[in-house]
Amino acid sequence: MTADEPPTILDARVVRRVHPGLTVDATIRLGAEIGVLFGPSGAGKSTLLRLIAGLARPGDGRVDLAGRTLFDAGRRIDVPLRERRIGMIFQDDLLFPHRDVAGNVGFGLKGAGRAERARRVGEVAALCGVSALLGRAVATLSGGERQRVGLARALAPRPRLLLCDEPVSALDLPGRRRLLDRLGDVRRAEGIPILYVTHSPAEAITLGTRLFLLEAGRIVAEGVPADVLAGAGGRSALLHLEGVRNAFGGTVAKHAPDGEWSRVALDGGPSLFVAALELPIGARVDVEVAGDEVMLAVGPIVGLSARNQIAGVVEAVAVHGREAEVVLRVGETRWLASTLASTPAALGLAPGRPATLIVKARSVRVESAAG
Amino acid sequence: MFPDLAPLWLSLKVATAATVGVALVGAPAALLLARRRFPGKALAAGLLTLPLVLPPTVLGYVLLQAFGRRTWLGGWLERSLGVTLVFHWSGAVVAAAVTAFPLFLLPARGAFEAVDPRLEDAARLLGRGEASVFLAVTLPLAWRGLAAGLALAFARALGDFGATMMVAGNIPGLTQTAALAIYDAVQIGDSRRAALLSLGVSTISIAALAFVQRTAPGRGARS
Repeated sequence: MTADEPPTILDARVVRRVHPGLTVDATIRLGAEIGVLFGPSGAGKSTLLRLIAGLARPGDGRVDLAGRTLFDAGRRIDVPLRERRIGMIFQDDLLFPHRDVAGNVGFGLKGAGRAERARRVGEVAALCGVSALLGRAVATLSGGERQRVGLARALAPRPRLLLCDEPVSALDLPGRRRLLDRLGDVRRAEGIPILYVTHSPAEAITLGTRLFLLEAGRIVAEGVPADVLAGAGGRSALLHLEGVRNAFGGTVAKHAPDGEWSRVALDGGPSLFVAALELPIGARVDVEVAGDEVMLAVGPIVGLSARNQIAGVVEAVAVHGREAEVVLRVGETRWLASTLASTPAALGLAPGRPATLIVKARSVRVESAAG
Repeated sequence: MFPDLAPLWLSLKVATAATVGVALVGAPAALLLARRRFPGKALAAGLLTLPLVLPPTVLGYVLLQAFGRRTWLGGWLERSLGVTLVFHWSGAVVAAAVTAFPLFLLPARGAFEAVDPRLEDAARLLGRGEASVFLAVTLPLAWRGLAAGLALAFARALGDFGATMMVAGNIPGLTQTAALAIYDAVQIGDSRRAALLSLGVSTISIAALAFVQRTAPGRGARS
């Protein structure tokens, strides 16, 4: 699609009739990037992932990964799971309850020598932020910790592809934020394709470099996430969205002398006024703003009660039914603002045009990222 | 005079051997029933559970028909392995094993079914072959149910009367287990011997059942 598209590592077309109302027939090509598989519930996202992984058998198609054919219906090739070198993390983490964290992380390194095994466990544990947990029993971990252990376990045997089946949907905001941050690190460190299933547009836009929009088992649009979600093909999927949320990581930057408010500097983005925090300066926080709580203006407004007025650039506008989603870029952060359908046109909001985000300090949810 | 405890030792020997046999045959059967779908599965499961409800005499008769010296199977066993089951303590082992088999199979199947197959898939994706998946994931997660089943089977094998009598006979010093010896003791009015042997069998059985209570899944067991 673009000149700087990375070389294809995963090349998969899988076909399978799931039930009379749903046949999955999808082609996924992915380089060393994060592909997001996005679509409404029941579109077949998880099934598609399982077909690529080999956990379910396609009726037809072919799966090539890093130069090796893992499945080919025509040539009757079906490489067993243990030889596929595919890492996977799941919605419920599926950690082995009878092994401690180190035992889980090292599970896929059975053939390796003792020293190499310890080295690799330490390496992926550091990458996934679970080094301090290695001696712990799985039952004592929080949901977010469990998912990061699952990620480390999947990465330890150096898979050539990482599949993520809605891994954060059961997590609270800090847990979600931290796992998503790690996935970016993983892509850089391991240089493998990551295919990530979600039905959250905020995750799709902030995480992915390429988005596959799946509807009724078929890819109906593919490309840069914000473009696809804003495009015609995105409309029917966006109809199924629930509360759109903006989620960021940040650092406590300042407290008002009278203790009325605090300021949080978002990673790669603006600083926000937030309700007074009882956290020290420099503390890491997770920040969430509901899409409904973000107002838009064409320029700065004088005499406004809301504390945060942030200049951004419109990336995309998606109108669906009576509502619209506007995607704005501020620094390295992307924001989603939910508005009425007529608002973008009334304000003249279009890709490339400037706009001002308005957020009340009290609308910003902040949670400590420590612990 | 010190009572003759030989029947009790024979019972222990027979029950132990029968339990080993039950485990070797029953564990794969339970895994098959828990994990695979195949034609005739319900029938197979029913047949394997049948000893639970059949009169022991029927079991004994069937075993005699199968393993008798004049039958094909019995003749082959005698010629090639030199094993004669009828009127031999190994016959008591086979009789006890068949009687006890369902008491292991049912909890073992339940224990294997309780292991989330997705955990096994996760292990396969991490590069483990089938044997390794079984030893590293399935077995450790199912062992409580398996151990409880083995203890039940042992207790049942220890107490078998009818099938043992039919196959191995009631030969003092050779095939007379505790259960049979108690019967004889009562017949000849030796109530002291009957009481002692009964006490021995009961104590061992109670110990086995207590072990089942301690080990059975769901009591202090991690998921």
